[in-house]
Amino acid sequence: MATTIAVRTRKSRRADTVAYSEMALRQNASILEYCRTSMACLGGATAGILGLTGLYGFAFYFITSFLFSVMVLIKAGSRWNNYFVSRKILFTNGFLGGLFTYVLSWTFLYGMVHVY
Amino acid sequence: MADLLLDSNIRIWVFLPIVVITFLVGIIRHYVTILLSSDKKSDLQQVADSHALMRSRILRENGKYIPKDSFLVRKSFFNHEEKGFFNVEKREAQVKNPMTDPSMMTDMMKGNVTNVLPMIVIGGWINWAFSGFLTTKVPFPLTLRFKPMLQRGVELQSLDASWVSSASWYFLNVFGLRSMYTLILGQDNAADQTRMMQEQMSGSAMMAPPDPMKAFKAEWEALEITNHDWLLDGVEEELTGGIIQPETIYIKNKFT
Repeated sequence: MATTIAVRTRKSRRADTVAYSEMALRQNASILEYCRTSMACLGGATAGILGLTGLYGFAFYFITSFLFSVMVLIKAGSRWNNYFVSRKILFTNGFLGGLFTYVLSWTFLYGMVHVY
Repeated sequence: MADLLLDSNIRIWVFLPIVVITFLVGIIRHYVTILLSSDKKSDLQQVADSHALMRSRILRENGKYIPKDSFLVRKSFFNHEEKGFFNVEKREAQVKNPMTDPSMMTDMMKGNVTNVLPMIVIGGWINWAFSGFLTTKVPFPLTLRFKPMLQRGVELQSLDASWVSSASWYFLNVFGLRSMYTLILGQDNAADQTRMMQEQMSGSAMMAPPDPMKAFKAEWEALEITNHDWLLDGVEEELTGGIIQPETIYIKNKFT
């Protein structure tokens, strides 16, 4: 009978429900938005100084944005479930808004450095 | 690369000033809005009603975290057939005419003063002072459709569409600097947001519904169909690290 004494660590019937705090989630989302805007601004400045044009610049935005998401994911680690409901919002949240910021700072620094 | 050579004085005296002016005007507008903002007045009855609605909504959302009898007590306070709050209270709908209410008039005027007026005045001034310059070039090719958008004030047929005139550069800045404001005014903006959140939490932004009876009816219906779903089942085992009672082991062994 020794093999049948398998100790369950916890009750399984309610193990999958996790309670989230709405305020904390919103706070996390706004911090994520903040980081993404800074990232878009810095990426735009980099692209402008490097003098990227056309599709290369947009590709650069996608690369930086993707890298940012991956970095946040690494930072959150295996316990990302504590901070976000789904991993998808790490990648999609504020993507288009960041694009506008990126284009503006890209245009600005490109104009400053390369046009004149 | 550049088929068109711009004087570098344009960069110093046109391109940069437009960015700086737009940015500073945005910041000033932010603070003027804070200065002019006034607290909304509302009478006691409206506040009590909106708080009752808020409590009912919180009960619907978070009722799963309190025991069942507590939930039922609160629910019957609102929805009891004879004595429930939503069934007993009678309110008369009050319709406000925005033209006769002077406070709403001032609010509307303040909104106009802080949002529309600077836009017109600064835009006009920039159009007047910096008209007719080509300032910069967007680093990606654009189709001819963008010419009237990006080259306002410079109507040249043969010019490439990716050149930007000064007036259009101003508008690009107005729309593009919005997210920069959230970065730089982050502290204040965050404070504003949390204040708004607190208002939502505590008083529904003190916004009394125009017809309380209708809101009561809707909330009554929503609460009526809400059932108690106890979410904290087994929370004691979670807390004590999953030590389970001996009879549970016994039952499990019997069935496996």
